[in-house]
Amino acid sequence: MERLCIGVSGINAVDNPGPGIGVIRSLKEDKDLKIETIGLAYDAMEPGIYMDWLVDKSFVLPYPSSSEEEYIRRLIYLKDRVGLDMIIPTLDAEMPLYIKAASLLEAKGIKTFLPTKEQFDFRGKTKLSQVAEKIGLKMPKTKTIASYQDLMKAIEEIGLPVMVKGVFYKAYRAYTYQEAVGYYRQIVAEWGYPVVVQEVVTGEEMNVIGVGDGLGNDLGLVGIKKLWITSLGKIWTGVTVKNDVLLKAAKKFVQKFNWKGAFELECIVSADDVYLIEINPRFPAWVYFATGVGVNLPAFMVKTAFGLPLKSSRDYSAGKLYVRYTYDIVTDMSVFQNIITKGER
Amino acid sequence: MVKKKYEKPVIKKLQMGFMNKFGRGYLSHIRQAIDGVSIDKLVEMYGSPQFVFSEKRLRQNYRRLYNSFSNRYPNVQFGWSYKTNYLNAICAILHKEGEVAEVVSEFEYEKARNLGVPGHKIIFNGPFKTISSLKRALEEGAIINIDHFEEIQDIERLAQSLNKKVKVGIRINMDTGIVPQWSRFGFNLESGQALDAVKRIAYGKRLVLNGLHCHIGTFILEPKAYSLEIEKMVNFAYQIEDDFGFKIEYLDIGGGFPSKNRLKGIYLPPEVIIPSGEDFAEAICDTLLRCLRPNDFPKLILETGRAIVDEAGYLITTVHAIKRMPDGLRAYVVDAGVNLLFTSFWYKFNIEIDREVQGIPEPSIIYGPLCMNIDVVEESINLPPLPRGTRLIISPVGAYNVTQWMQFINYRPAVSLITIEGKIELIREPETLDDILGKEKLPQKLQLNLED
Amino acid sequence: MERLKQLAISEEGFIFDPVTGNSFTTNGTGLFILEALKEGREEKEIVDLLTEKYGTDKENVSRDLMDFMEQLRSYRLI
Repeated sequence: MERLCIGVSGINAVDNPGPGIGVIRSLKEDKDLKIETIGLAYDAMEPGIYMDWLVDKSFVLPYPSSSEEEYIRRLIYLKDRVGLDMIIPTLDAEMPLYIKAASLLEAKGIKTFLPTKEQFDFRGKTKLSQVAEKIGLKMPKTKTIASYQDLMKAIEEIGLPVMVKGVFYKAYRAYTYQEAVGYYRQIVAEWGYPVVVQEVVTGEEMNVIGVGDGLGNDLGLVGIKKLWITSLGKIWTGVTVKNDVLLKAAKKFVQKFNWKGAFELECIVSADDVYLIEINPRFPAWVYFATGVGVNLPAFMVKTAFGLPLKSSRDYSAGKLYVRYTYDIVTDMSVFQNIITKGER
Repeated sequence: MVKKKYEKPVIKKLQMGFMNKFGRGYLSHIRQAIDGVSIDKLVEMYGSPQFVFSEKRLRQNYRRLYNSFSNRYPNVQFGWSYKTNYLNAICAILHKEGEVAEVVSEFEYEKARNLGVPGHKIIFNGPFKTISSLKRALEEGAIINIDHFEEIQDIERLAQSLNKKVKVGIRINMDTGIVPQWSRFGFNLESGQALDAVKRIAYGKRLVLNGLHCHIGTFILEPKAYSLEIEKMVNFAYQIEDDFGFKIEYLDIGGGFPSKNRLKGIYLPPEVIIPSGEDFAEAICDTLLRCLRPNDFPKLILETGRAIVDEAGYLITTVHAIKRMPDGLRAYVVDAGVNLLFTSFWYKFNIEIDREVQGIPEPSIIYGPLCMNIDVVEESINLPPLPRGTRLIISPVGAYNVTQWMQFINYRPAVSLITIEGKIELIREPETLDDILGKEKLPQKLQLNLED
Repeated sequence: MERLKQLAISEEGFIFDPVTGNSFTTNGTGLFILEALKEGREEKEIVDLLTEKYGTDKENVSRDLMDFMEQLRSYRLI
């Protein structure tokens, strides 16, 4: 098997971690693949840059908000420099750019495995209710807003407390109108319009991770329940589950929309009702959980992209535990210095 | 020995969360000419600041958009949105390309007529149409889209006094999923108000309803919103035809297509998020053809302004002073500010410099010349250390700026046009003191003679 | 110039200040000035050295040096 060079973004393994390190660790652990991992970072302080036992090389990219031309130029430089064969973007704000540039990158010899623009748009926060209906899930009441007036109206209709969410990132629970206004302002300042206001539904938080092949089949699905979350709402401990409604909905989602690429369904299960909260068009930060229970989705994705065979059994058992922990690295300034002055390590 | 090239010395403190060697915000590029005419030549002829328009780009933008619609639907008419840019030269180019005029006030109506546009090639929109302008428009056969019930009455009275039955359209508003919903113009569809307006027109018997007008918002990034608009308009049109016997001859879907400008508060760059004219044309025409009855092809009217003219306009401005702010940020004072760039309140412009400048780019702020705190052209851009006299070329600025600019503190500058032939034409002279004093009157008793 | 002597300055223009833990980056001209300052040279002398080295005009260089010194002061490096 030839060595593949794969770029992965989101190597910011901080208290609100990006999925990159989980993806990279999964790729490194697959026995059939020989992968050189390239960390794609946006800041010299992303911990992945310093985790040299997983991330072979790291490069700083311009922000996706800079300009498409500049961004692509940097990727092509990486192709020339290290022979990049594929990129697995894992951050929401990168997705539209990669989706748009997918065929251009393919022509330059850089593969991606992403949904189409139409698929991407369809699962956006503002249109999610249509998806929920088609895959047999419920939706909390949701309003898309762009002004204080809208916010007031939305809160009147939905009732407090509400979730206030940005289209890409950030979700806050507001118990009072004043709090909601504060979060609204915060989200607009950082991520712009529109903002989504959603009813708070209570129940068990369950998620499904999967990868669709673009032809209606999934490469594997794993359902989990979050047992303990941090103050930022990120999973700290979790357990694998086999909830029928949830897994069927995920299968239907892949089938009905011919979804291509990684995804995560975020749901709340309340008695027999399953509410769809969000669909993320990428791997979640806990992607390694699935790998750990035998469903190595990043490796399956790479194999499919390169036409390599997958193992036939891609099932998992319920009741496996996930525990996240922190770790400390001590290093000297030289790596930091390089990434600052040259943008690479 | 060749000496090393001099670079201005710079030292930058590394800040947590900002350690990306490419910097936040985009880098500037170099532009030495517009359509082959050098920036130096333009400034030498008509000074700085100066708005410069490209005839080539303007015609290209129009033709590209027109073709993407006319290739898909047999009956398409563009109406030039005067409020976007009503400089005579710009309007004339677009009229020569085949656009009719779309005006929203008596002033704009008079301006179009003065330019030589006949009444029947004017679409008259807006919530405030004076009686005298309505009368003239009716006499001259303009297309009038009614905004409110008072206007139905106004036009009925005028029709009576002119003793003729006149054709009118109504403006409707609706929910297309776009927020904010523009519900302040026209009659609301979902609430039944639009139907009431039709009933009222039918009942009055003096007017013939022959068109529907709608405008769902501005800088729309979602082609599907137009599909929804079309579907609702067509269904409503057939309801009117079937129940009231009027024939709807045109569907005016307004404007709102975005230009490739970067809106503040939207994270991704315009190349990535802004759909092409083709995307809009496809969504609109496919829906039309799907919803219309066989052999019915009402005129599709588009009032696209920004998407046609924005990218055809540039503003040349010059660095007048360089400052270091107390927080270490580098600041430039340039000769054009928010008095000329109304759209800077919502756009983050593309800012190019006219020469190669050595040195590490650093986050800089660009201030306009006004003695006003709000006069900020750009809050944060990575620029190499620019010397005094460097020209900045700001774009796209062709839409709304030369209509919404202010004569405030400074004179408004020259506007030039680079023609297809490569000639530089002055299309608006820079203002002088006389332009402003001409309208002023000083009462006799306030005459000053302080020098005695 | 005691503060300046404590700085760890790399050839690539990366500067670490062991007293405050701050890091900085600078360009070639900046490096040149920092070295000259460490050697205890006067500003006037540095302007001459720069003018000599790069062959640019003095007025420009002294204005730039003033701005650079202002930056160093704002970072409390001198």
